[in-house]
Amino acid sequence: MSSSAPRARSLAWALVGPTLALLIAFNVFPLLYNIASSFTNAELIGGEWRSVGGANYARVFEDELFAGALRRTALFVVCAVTLELLLGFALALSLHRGLPGKQVVLTILLVPMMLSPAVMGLYWNLVLNGNYGVVNQGLTALGFDPPQWLTDRDLKFWSILLIDVWMWTPFMMLIALAGLNAIPPSIYEAAQIDRARPWKVFTRITLPMCTPVLGLAVLFRATDALKQFDLVMAVTGPNDAATQTLSTLLYQVVFRDGSVGLGAAFSCVILVLVIALATVFTRYIDRLQSKDVTA
Amino acid sequence: MNALELIDVSKRFGATSALDGVNLSVGEREFVVVLGPTGAGKTTLLRTIAGLEAPDRGQVRLFGADCTHASPAARDVALVFQNFSLYPGKTVRENLAFPLLAPGRQLAAREVDERIQWAAQLLRIERLLDRSARKLSGGEMQRVAIGRAIVRRPRLFLMDEPLTNLDAKLREELRVELRELARRLETPVVWVTHDSAEALSMADRIVALFAGRVVQVASPRELYLRPSTPAVARQLGSPPMNLIEVRRAGAAWRLPNGDEFGAAGVEAPSEALLGFRPEHVRLDGGASEAVVEVVEHLGPQRVVVLRWGGAIVHATAPTSIDIAVHQRVKPSVPPERCIVWPRS
Repeated sequence: MSSSAPRARSLAWALVGPTLALLIAFNVFPLLYNIASSFTNAELIGGEWRSVGGANYARVFEDELFAGALRRTALFVVCAVTLELLLGFALALSLHRGLPGKQVVLTILLVPMMLSPAVMGLYWNLVLNGNYGVVNQGLTALGFDPPQWLTDRDLKFWSILLIDVWMWTPFMMLIALAGLNAIPPSIYEAAQIDRARPWKVFTRITLPMCTPVLGLAVLFRATDALKQFDLVMAVTGPNDAATQTLSTLLYQVVFRDGSVGLGAAFSCVILVLVIALATVFTRYIDRLQSKDVTA
Repeated sequence: MNALELIDVSKRFGATSALDGVNLSVGEREFVVVLGPTGAGKTTLLRTIAGLEAPDRGQVRLFGADCTHASPAARDVALVFQNFSLYPGKTVRENLAFPLLAPGRQLAAREVDERIQWAAQLLRIERLLDRSARKLSGGEMQRVAIGRAIVRRPRLFLMDEPLTNLDAKLREELRVELRELARRLETPVVWVTHDSAEALSMADRIVALFAGRVVQVASPRELYLRPSTPAVARQLGSPPMNLIEVRRAGAAWRLPNGDEFGAAGVEAPSEALLGFRPEHVRLDGGASEAVVEVVEHLGPQRVVVLRWGGAIVHATAPTSIDIAVHQRVKPSVPPERCIVWPRS
């Protein structure tokens, strides 16, 4: 007994050690390094590092680009997730009723989700191209004056949003479908015998029983949309002020302007925002799930 | 007028026939138990009556009106599911109120409250009213499910093995309570079960259902003493009816090894399956010998398993008689207690 306790402990360390080392090397250290460099004037190329105190943070909060990217990202998250949720849930409901050829429809609907966002961005670049894109050629043929989807200052942000909705609605649909399938049919039958109207069945049974799983899907999508990067990069590039999100702004600051210190301050602010948001979200989901786990 | 009439109802699922020409009538205050083994079509029968399944053939009549193609809502019947099917995440009160808030009912809020109180009192779940349906025990859930059925005051109750998921003690308690409740509500009940004790203790009439067919309809006593087929005999009673293969030699039945079992009528077939209840086996007065293999104590009586002429026979014996394993006895069965099914 006396020797087994220390041995067990060293075994535990041996098992946890490699993971811990990796975590420290690739997560903890970069985080600390990032925080440290946010207080310096570090540049990507050359130059000596010097402490500048809170100057970088002051610049972040004064920067109009940052404020714009923040607003745009928030708008993007809210619009994209809401649209995806509504469309996905509606699709799931209609598929759940048992459409003819359901499997085929399901497979086709899932395709956009399985492709890489970068590829999707290039693909939509072609489809929505102002001159030779399929959409505009069609619109011209029908006699419309087609809009410039990807170059119009007021339009390109919404074009990217629509591409995101197109890509991720199937994801919402899939999760909503799983939620719908988990509802025991006998509950619907009980409601049928109890003479409940369809609308009441939906609001009193379907919706509340799907809410926990939909909440989880919203969390996934919201975190994804919050770090929106690849689609913007592929469609308009990182330097377009009209479509800049927090992630692409960060990319611009560090890799185009080479301002590592400023970029580090940017990312620290974003990190705090994300942590705050995630906390609120997980609290909400915890509450949903403890209240309403499927019986 | 009958509360329910099924006329030649059939229902198939793909290649399997769930109901095959079922005829059934239920009187206005009658408690009818449909008894059958798993897969006999009992649940399909109830679902057809409720309108959750449409029969392929035949007619469903409720209180004289043809309801074969009426929606479940239009039939005004209540169905209690085996798995309770409460609305999850809602309180007991909300579950009970749900059927009362259906369109076309237009009950005043006070009336809804009164009905919930009435049902809760009847089922003794008043203190649970504000608890979430998830936080109930099995017995409580079942009471709420039954409550949800009775608040509506439906014309007919349909119960799908409502006690199967409960423990034995609770089952016996609820059996008595629900029988009493049905009598007080003066509402007919169709109760489906595979438990013969449930059927025997609750039913006005028992409908024996096997492989989608009604095999026998009779009072519990009649069904117990005079089952029409060996299958019905096997389904009823614990221990079940003895069924042994015999051959007639002159005026006597012979057991598989040739030993004499007892007297046979002159008109009896040459080969038969004999059915007799364990409680009708006497442990003396017979012509051939049997060996006691097992003695089981069941409180008020004992079950004795005998090896008799190559067959296994169950008998019951009062605790006052001394009997031990390996003991040799000469059992007998009064001929009038034997049911004879000819074998060909």
